[in-house]
Amino acid sequence: MPPVLDIDHLSTHIQLRKSVVQAVGDISLTIEPGETLGLVGESGCGKSMTGLSIMRLLPNGGHIVEGSITVDGVDVVKLSEREMRDVRGNDVAMIFQDSLTSLNPTMTIGKQIAEQVRRHRSVTRKVATERAAEVLGIVGFPRPRERLANYPHQLSGGQRQRVMIAIALSCDPKLLIADEPTTALDVTIQAQILGLLDDLKERLGMAVLLVTHDMGVVAGRADRVNVMYAGRMVETAPTKELFARMHHPYTQALLGSIPLLTQERHERLFSIPGIPPDLTEPPKGCRFAPRCTRATDQCREVEPALEPASTDHWFSCWHPVDGPIARVVVASPTAADANGSGTGVTATSVGGGAAPAPLAPAAIVPERQWEAGADDANLLMIDQVVREYPVTAGILQRRVASVKAVSDVSFTVGRAETFGLVGESGCGKTTLGKVIVGLEKADSGNVTLRGTDITKLGERELRRFRRDLQMMFQDPIASLDPRMRVGAVLREPMQVQGIGTHKQQEEVIAELLSEVGLPMNAVERFPHEFSGGQRQRIGLARALTLNPQVIVADEPVSALDVSIRSQVLNLMKRLQQTHGLTYVVISHDLAVVKYLSDRIGVMYLGKLVEMGSGDDIYHHAVHHYTAGLIATVPEPDPSRERAKSEIGIRGELPSPVDPPSGCRFRTRCPAAQDVCAEVEPPLRLFHPGHYAACHVPLQEPMPEDGNEPAVSAVSAPSGL
Amino acid sequence: MSIVIGEVAEELRPAEPIPEGGHVQGPRAGWRLALSSFVENKLAVVGSGIVIFFVLFCFVGPFIYRTNQVDTNLLNSFQAPSSQHWLGTDSYGFDELGRIMKGGQAALEIGFLSSAIATVLGTLVGAVAGLVGGVIDGILMRFVDILLSLPLLFVILIISNRYNGATVLSLSIIIGAFSWLVSARLVRGEVLSLRVRDFVLASRTMGANKRHLIYKHLIPNALGVVIVNITFQVADAINLLALLGFLGYGLNYPNVSWGDMLSNALNYLSDGYWWVVYPVGICLVLVVMAFNFIGDALRDTVDVRLRRR
Amino acid sequence: MTAYLIRRFVTSLIVILGIAFITFLAVHIIAPSPGRAVLGDRASQAAVNAFNKQAGYDQPVWVQFLKYMWALLHGNLGFSYKSNQTVDSLIIENAPHSMWLSGISLLLSILIAIPLGIFQAVKRNSVADQSITAFAFTCYSMPQNFLGLLLIGFLAISFHLFPSEASQSEKIIPYITAVRANFLPILTLTLTAVAAYSRYMRSSGLDALAQDYIRLARAKGLSEARVLRRHLFRNASLPMITLIGLSIPALLGGNLVVENLFNSHGLGLLFINELGNEDFNTVIALTLLGGVATVVGNLIADVALTVADPRIRIS
Repeated sequence: MPPVLDIDHLSTHIQLRKSVVQAVGDISLTIEPGETLGLVGESGCGKSMTGLSIMRLLPNGGHIVEGSITVDGVDVVKLSEREMRDVRGNDVAMIFQDSLTSLNPTMTIGKQIAEQVRRHRSVTRKVATERAAEVLGIVGFPRPRERLANYPHQLSGGQRQRVMIAIALSCDPKLLIADEPTTALDVTIQAQILGLLDDLKERLGMAVLLVTHDMGVVAGRADRVNVMYAGRMVETAPTKELFARMHHPYTQALLGSIPLLTQERHERLFSIPGIPPDLTEPPKGCRFAPRCTRATDQCREVEPALEPASTDHWFSCWHPVDGPIARVVVASPTAADANGSGTGVTATSVGGGAAPAPLAPAAIVPERQWEAGADDANLLMIDQVVREYPVTAGILQRRVASVKAVSDVSFTVGRAETFGLVGESGCGKTTLGKVIVGLEKADSGNVTLRGTDITKLGERELRRFRRDLQMMFQDPIASLDPRMRVGAVLREPMQVQGIGTHKQQEEVIAELLSEVGLPMNAVERFPHEFSGGQRQRIGLARALTLNPQVIVADEPVSALDVSIRSQVLNLMKRLQQTHGLTYVVISHDLAVVKYLSDRIGVMYLGKLVEMGSGDDIYHHAVHHYTAGLIATVPEPDPSRERAKSEIGIRGELPSPVDPPSGCRFRTRCPAAQDVCAEVEPPLRLFHPGHYAACHVPLQEPMPEDGNEPAVSAVSAPSGL
Repeated sequence: MSIVIGEVAEELRPAEPIPEGGHVQGPRAGWRLALSSFVENKLAVVGSGIVIFFVLFCFVGPFIYRTNQVDTNLLNSFQAPSSQHWLGTDSYGFDELGRIMKGGQAALEIGFLSSAIATVLGTLVGAVAGLVGGVIDGILMRFVDILLSLPLLFVILIISNRYNGATVLSLSIIIGAFSWLVSARLVRGEVLSLRVRDFVLASRTMGANKRHLIYKHLIPNALGVVIVNITFQVADAINLLALLGFLGYGLNYPNVSWGDMLSNALNYLSDGYWWVVYPVGICLVLVVMAFNFIGDALRDTVDVRLRRR
Repeated sequence: MTAYLIRRFVTSLIVILGIAFITFLAVHIIAPSPGRAVLGDRASQAAVNAFNKQAGYDQPVWVQFLKYMWALLHGNLGFSYKSNQTVDSLIIENAPHSMWLSGISLLLSILIAIPLGIFQAVKRNSVADQSITAFAFTCYSMPQNFLGLLLIGFLAISFHLFPSEASQSEKIIPYITAVRANFLPILTLTLTAVAAYSRYMRSSGLDALAQDYIRLARAKGLSEARVLRRHLFRNASLPMITLIGLSIPALLGGNLVVENLFNSHGLGLLFINELGNEDFNTVIALTLLGGVATVVGNLIADVALTVADPRIRIS
């Protein structure tokens, strides 16, 4: 059979006001009927532009410079705009990343589906509406006919993405282009949507071009994978082959820089230095050469062509590698391992000799004594914290309900320990982080730092304590004042706290910059002059300025590209060693949390449902939510991904305004029983340091010796 | 646009002292960046040129093109443009070109002064409402709502009617006192959105007090919006002044502003004295348009800088 | 949604009360003794006092205000001593002319500005777009009286296409049918409004064009005309509803200027004349009317937006 899609030497440029971005440079690919091709790469590598080129829907200034795009035997590059419109939505359909902005907010979803049907099939309005209901049913809407009159804002993110898929398949396209279809979604919903796409592909016999930055997503879903870098196709191979025996150093490095769930967490992540090149002036030779550890003069001068390693494995490199970077993977769990992993892990045991000698922390910021002792295990104690936001309604705006953001959460973090908080968006983890650093007041409960309850402090006393509690923000752009130079950004904490003379502050700034790996001339620059990774380094430097004991890092790497992510993760780990820092890491990404953390707390709808060491959580999950979460995390490992059968967690997150009675997870839990709706499960001990709140746990709890439950979670000196 | 160039890991090239986070190269200071994106906007340059021209024309012009703007000479009225009176004379026999310079002084003075008054007042009210919040915010904003609902021109006319003998200062105060409302709303909105931005939260985690937040973060970041608004306010004030003059409530004789010169324009036109109507009207349009140009360009500049975040 | 509208309605009432109070107060501070204005400079002080006492102007301000509000509630706006008739009848005589002028101009400017703005957004930076922008910018930057003067100068005086004065008919039907006579005032009002609206519509259209749903609509294979009609038009027009509501004070001001320039019967001309006559009952009534019109306009815009935008309607 001829391929559904055959792209031959496609080049797409985008004309800007003063320059031309060579977004896609000379790429070729084919997709066979019924095949899923993964197109992966970091942001700006041209993968989305390739997808939009096929649809001929390039942004303003974008145009196809040369090459052909043959869809089902027709070169769409040569079609007139009128003929092209018959292809769009009919032969080729596309779904986009952001389902909220991609659906017309003022049109019912029924009409939005039906209008495509009527455009390509000469049918009556009634038949088109029938078809709309039919495809809504196919994508998993129960009672689809009732949904036709809904507007997009009435649906959840996952449901909207389903609607977009319904639109795409309403005219039985031969090819579906899915551009980052799940990036904006939570992991549990992501798994559902990816499962749906797979299922539809099987049932309808479509070919799929899956465009994504996430190696985990392609590992499980793609038959073949094409890797793009800086507008070039650098490697293409069947999925298993690519993950097992890649030849391009970029592919190797990209995979190597992703933290794995199975990874030994004290191992330093591989990281690709630098950032991708500016495509208005791409480098002369191999585009990866400036960041490649194997680069030679040949690489910098002559660009390598795409050469076959075997019939279906092609790559472009002068000095190919063979297979992935070796890394230490924690062996599959054994009883001994389970018993041993909970103890004896401290940051100081991290090694490999790579750790530089601890730098003397900023000279003028008084370094607090490391009064070793009882204090260490209970440096930071979160005790029964509750935070609710009022919901007002009615004519008088009376408080009618509240959003239960954080409900009765307790845990303890020891000195130099990393505590990870993980959960879906809306589980309250960010609110809890803000309560810990004092940006939000807890409605009840205490946050105790070194024995002092900071929730009871006045603003003036709290100010001194703020030195010890700093925060790292998710969005490195938003968290830096656009009108402040970096020097002023780093000086600000010392000014606020009234520390040091101008000259002393300058010394501290210089030291901080070198510590986070930025050049001295950064002082004079404004935040917008830096790349994303550099800005996050600045954010980290600022958090370090006051020599704090605890840093709350809210999604510290979520906004960053994979290759930059590992740089920042490594830096965070290194700084933890040199400064004896305690981290509270908040993230939706279980792999990141597991890589950074000694202990992990899993939150669901404002509740802490499970807490334990990374291995406790990963290998011996007790709570069904934790187990489901682990199952849904896409891993960059085809054999593991393909072995996963069920779709992790069904359904969607209930409203935090009116959480389910008893166990809040029961509405989505596969093991829910009557008791779950009636009695709220207490935190029980399952293993030293491993707690979970579940009536029907996946493991047997340890025998209770009387006074074990919830409160003891606070004082348990786990992890140390 | 990325200003970062290629970089190499420190472990691999120990000889080269390249920082781990990569190079930073940004050759231009912040204000120069803003200036360059302002200059790139041709309309902004044209607008600034027009404003500078008219400031020189109105304030320096009279020293070069000397005319008698004090004594009326009815025998000399409505003379067509000639070498002696470049733009002819008006109903009182004043030289029209000289009159335009004199009227322009008043128009520009009132424009700047009233917008200064409105900006100060509006920024203060808006900042207080946004920062203090609660009941005070509610009261201030309802007050602003009420004043905004009043037909501005009607109210100004009522006041002007009572206090005859309007001067540049009194008209500026009246116009300023009624045009601060929009800037108050703008500043309040800006303050409210800035308050919850991450960089302000970051500053709070360092223990910054309100004073620090206001001076270091809120004012510098809200300034752009305020400056943009000033230019629009100047344009609106000059426009409003022209309407007042037309309706006969402008400056008192012998003082004059451009609007006053147009108050009998309809009769002049039907009598064919075009030179006492069109030149002054064109000056008015040019100046108002120039300020609008500058305002638009500044707004783009502020936005661009925000977009580049 | 109902709760929102009720709250919106109640705040509007409060604002109207505030407007009434401020207007009343302002006029009283400015003209504490209306008797003098009514009877003229030559009347004796005793006569003035007697007049003030008889009309209740010697009572405390708040008593006068309450009385005024009480009368207002019964639709009684007071008596115009200068015209020797009630203010109500003055307004009823003059309002239709003003309403026709502003109504027809508002309608025309919406009908012109919305398609024009969308056209500009679609053809952004083309010669057509830039010419329209330049024209709109010029009209926008022009004091309304000068715009009117230009039109009179060219279309009435130089080319005699239209009269320079609006219809002088006091009856509304002949006034409406005098299309040629009222052409220039309507053109003046419309041009000003089109200038402001089309600029806004253009930027709103550009915003909407950059949205993902436009891209998805194109990805469905819809024709460009259909994309614009079905997806761009409604979304880009929604913000216009608010703008039109907010522009009512400007429309009133425009009436004042245009009615003066073209000597057309109407509330604006009435205001200026009675202000010169120091007929404060009429002046208060007209200002109040303007304020109420603004509040009601904003309220209608909010309701309209609520109906037109499903995100607000169904929340």
